[in-house]
Amino acid sequence: MTTVAIDSDDRTEMREALEAVLGPTTEPVLLAGGASKEAWAVDAGGQRLLVRRAAVGVIHRHTLSLKEEFAVLEAAYEAGVKVPRPVMYIPELEGREAFVMERLEGETIGRRIVRMDVPAQLPVQLAEELAKIHAIPRERLPFLQEARLERMMDELDDVGEPHPAIELGLWWLRENRPAPRAAVVTHGDYRIGNVVVDEHGLVGILDWEFAHLDEPVRDLGFGLVRAWRFGADDKRFGGIADVDDYLARYNELTGLDVRLDELDYWELAGNVGWAIGCLTQAQRHLSGQDRSVELAILGRLGAEVEYEICHLLEKMWA
Amino acid sequence: MSERPTAQELTEAIAEFLGGEILPTLTDHRLRFRMLVAMNALGIVHRELAALPPEDDTERRELARRIRADDVEQGMLAVVKADVEARLRIASPRYLDRYA
Repeated sequence: MTTVAIDSDDRTEMREALEAVLGPTTEPVLLAGGASKEAWAVDAGGQRLLVRRAAVGVIHRHTLSLKEEFAVLEAAYEAGVKVPRPVMYIPELEGREAFVMERLEGETIGRRIVRMDVPAQLPVQLAEELAKIHAIPRERLPFLQEARLERMMDELDDVGEPHPAIELGLWWLRENRPAPRAAVVTHGDYRIGNVVVDEHGLVGILDWEFAHLDEPVRDLGFGLVRAWRFGADDKRFGGIADVDDYLARYNELTGLDVRLDELDYWELAGNVGWAIGCLTQAQRHLSGQDRSVELAILGRLGAEVEYEICHLLEKMWA
Repeated sequence: MSERPTAQELTEAIAEFLGGEILPTLTDHRLRFRMLVAMNALGIVHRELAALPPEDDTERRELARRIRADDVEQGMLAVVKADVEARLRIASPRYLDRYA
């Protein structure tokens, strides 16, 4: 990961604040990426740690607070899911909430992962971890909300721009909904780009802020979305493999017997969700909440996802 | 207006980035001067764009409304795809190569 230039005063203050809770630490380093959260790398007590801290004034609809995200991380860790070991939640760190977890070693950048010589078992490992996540008892995380497809329409309406391609995708999803499956604890953003990988395969699952209760196949299909293939488009599952091994292992472990056409449906749903996500990210810039060129340009790059929606509809609408 | 950010809004975002994040890091006098000139040029683009009429999105809005009301026919897909493709030729032309 790259680091960000920052005033030495900020670093000194952060170090003092962290040392108050963790004991003596190394100099904290602010890592790049993530407009809504800061990530600081720091070592303390001989451990490699990562501090996730809220950024200024950002509260997203439908995402977990850091306190809730930490609770989900703890539940996943207890369930034996490969995740960074949760260390502690800090209600106030230099004026904002934060939590501390283990800092895993490995590659997280999607564009690099799809170009790596990843081990053949990576898709199977990802299926195994997802099966464990979906088996977490929902009573363990009573604050998780149940998501519904209708929410996507509400989010699009909040943006207020006409996007016929997204509307067509939503229409298809309304008309062709497979028989509903019982809601489980889902990760909500399960894909290459949110996992740590090394030469032995999967190291850990990151970014739990979108966790919620949902149909398991929605989580299973999200990693197929073309945007998360990072240019390796011919490998339908995250630019690393075809879906066969991933789906077979997931079905074997869960007994859910997910069909390929169901996966097609949720791949389309994932694209529709991400197309709307691009627009809502751009709204964060346009509304003045988070002024940023990266967020702004997503409003235009969403056309890529809309094109993929049309492409999928052409195949399905036979 | 349906293409957001508009071209004008994009120039604003770039101007804020250059002025707020890049300019303060430039220590070389010549580079600072040329950055200020570039930002002036961007200002010209911004004001010129302001004089253009806004994009007419009546058709797009009507199509979106019909689809939401479940008034869908198969021929719509080709129309919608052509519209997205035209937007992509501006926003990200190389993306289309991925479907070749």
